[in-house]
Amino acid sequence: MAARAGSVRTVSEELLIEAQALTKRYGEFVAVDGIDFGVRKGETFGFLGPNGAGKSSTMRMIGAVSPPSAGTLRVFGRDPATDGPAIRERLGVVPQEDNLDLELDVAENLLVYGRFFGLPRNVIRRRTDELLDFVQLAERRDSRVDSLSGGMKRRLTIARALVNEPELMLLDEPTTGLDPQARHALWDRLYRLKQRGVTLVLTTHYMDEAEQLCDRLVIMDRARIVAEGSPRELIARFVEAEVVELRFAVQNGVAAELEGIGRVEVLPDRIVIGAEDGDAALDAVHARGLHPDSSLVRRSTLEDVFLTLTGRSLVD
Amino acid sequence: MDGVRRAFAVVGWHAQGYRHTWRGTVTVSFLNPVFFLLSIGVLLGRLIDSRHPQLGGLDYLQFVAPALLATTAMQTAASLSTFPVLAGLKWLRTYQAVVATPVRVPELVAGLLAWTGARVLFSVSVFAAIAAVGGAFTSAYAALAALAALLCGLAFAAAITAFSARLENANWLAPVFRFVLLPLFLFSGTFFPLSRLPEWIRPLAWATPLWHGVSLCRDIATGRAAALPTAVHVLYLVALAAVGVTVAVRTCERRLLS
Repeated sequence: MAARAGSVRTVSEELLIEAQALTKRYGEFVAVDGIDFGVRKGETFGFLGPNGAGKSSTMRMIGAVSPPSAGTLRVFGRDPATDGPAIRERLGVVPQEDNLDLELDVAENLLVYGRFFGLPRNVIRRRTDELLDFVQLAERRDSRVDSLSGGMKRRLTIARALVNEPELMLLDEPTTGLDPQARHALWDRLYRLKQRGVTLVLTTHYMDEAEQLCDRLVIMDRARIVAEGSPRELIARFVEAEVVELRFAVQNGVAAELEGIGRVEVLPDRIVIGAEDGDAALDAVHARGLHPDSSLVRRSTLEDVFLTLTGRSLVD
Repeated sequence: MDGVRRAFAVVGWHAQGYRHTWRGTVTVSFLNPVFFLLSIGVLLGRLIDSRHPQLGGLDYLQFVAPALLATTAMQTAASLSTFPVLAGLKWLRTYQAVVATPVRVPELVAGLLAWTGARVLFSVSVFAAIAAVGGAFTSAYAALAALAALLCGLAFAAAITAFSARLENANWLAPVFRFVLLPLFLFSGTFFPLSRLPEWIRPLAWATPLWHGVSLCRDIATGRAAALPTAVHVLYLVALAAVGVTVAVRTCERRLLS
């Protein structure tokens, strides 16, 4: 396994990834527009943003399968443009869409993949046992990949990405398309990897995923980074502690009557009020004679940070 | 050499998959020569006067069997360089998984072609063995003709891989089989000497790769290979393979490393 002995997790100052003014263009289209970031050894780093924000393009550049159009990028201190094989040797990549070989069985997928890294067969076999235990697929060892559920395929892709004991794992939308139970099972595995000291870089458009897993993250929107910090810092910096969500049968004109209660954001289906004390804010709404069909007071999340920074919601 | 080792890992990947599917293709490899040699070489061949001057003193079975080595190579190469390439690039994106590892695109393409070459060599060897048992060869050089067929197969594999790598879907594959590979199969001097064709169309046949493959295999198997024509056939096929590999690598790089 890609583990140090024990489960003591330390984040060092050593940067595994460094990007300056990193840019990716496809013809006229700018997918990544001059972003700066650094990922430290041992941390879990996230790219949070809606579809099309440039997260996957960034991941592919880090993975040394997509040359940057401009700017500088260093992974393990090396240049992906010239040292691709040497970088990829130390990476574990979980792509957005599974690309397992469906004709092979579970164990064969790991065997074949390990061979691409030049690992001897007996080493791969030994790791296969550990890895399939780790992703809870040991009893499906001889099943054709075709027959696995979506969540199982995802876990197999993670096992496959670990076969070379990577120092850095790149996970592009690791839980998109999975049901809630499968997502939680996957988070649990990722959390264990994190405990073992593997550096994780993930993209997601789920704010709960980012909050649960990431030590630090950047929020991306329209090819740029709009904010950076730990989930807690971002919430403290950009939004109030709590949020009141109001739904009205007819929403038109209501926003004007809410003025002064808190920071009001009008969304197509609801009105969101940011406030340090949510219950007090809701009382104030009622005191003004407004009667929403439903109301909810909750703690602020990264979703609210995104909304505040961009005026839009993460998942459309 | 890390690159060579990684190309062999790609071959190993395909060999692993073949463990699940070999029964069907091996059956085809044995039945295909039996059917062709029996129906065309023997049963049709009996109707053909073996003293016909254009057969060059061969009986029809001896005339057609070496040519069928070359066409078998072409067909095996085509089946492995079309749908599987689209699956790897597009449908299953397994090539995307490969290039996320230390394997580079030229190594991936080399591995794909090496695997295709191994499959071609197997099918032409089976063909040659069955043809030999059936008395289709008069010369021990027929064993060398299997290697000539391998070269023909590799040239086709490289060229067709380059073509398949450009496709977005399989719509173009059926026309290629029907309007390119089938006419090549029928008109490349496989079943009749090119001298049967009108004179004006013969240069077109000389330009096609299968004619060079067929001629090379026939010349070698009958022990009549002369230096100059043999060199031309070999150079043509090597050049086609080289162009095919170059274009295939470039196209795959554009698609996988964008």
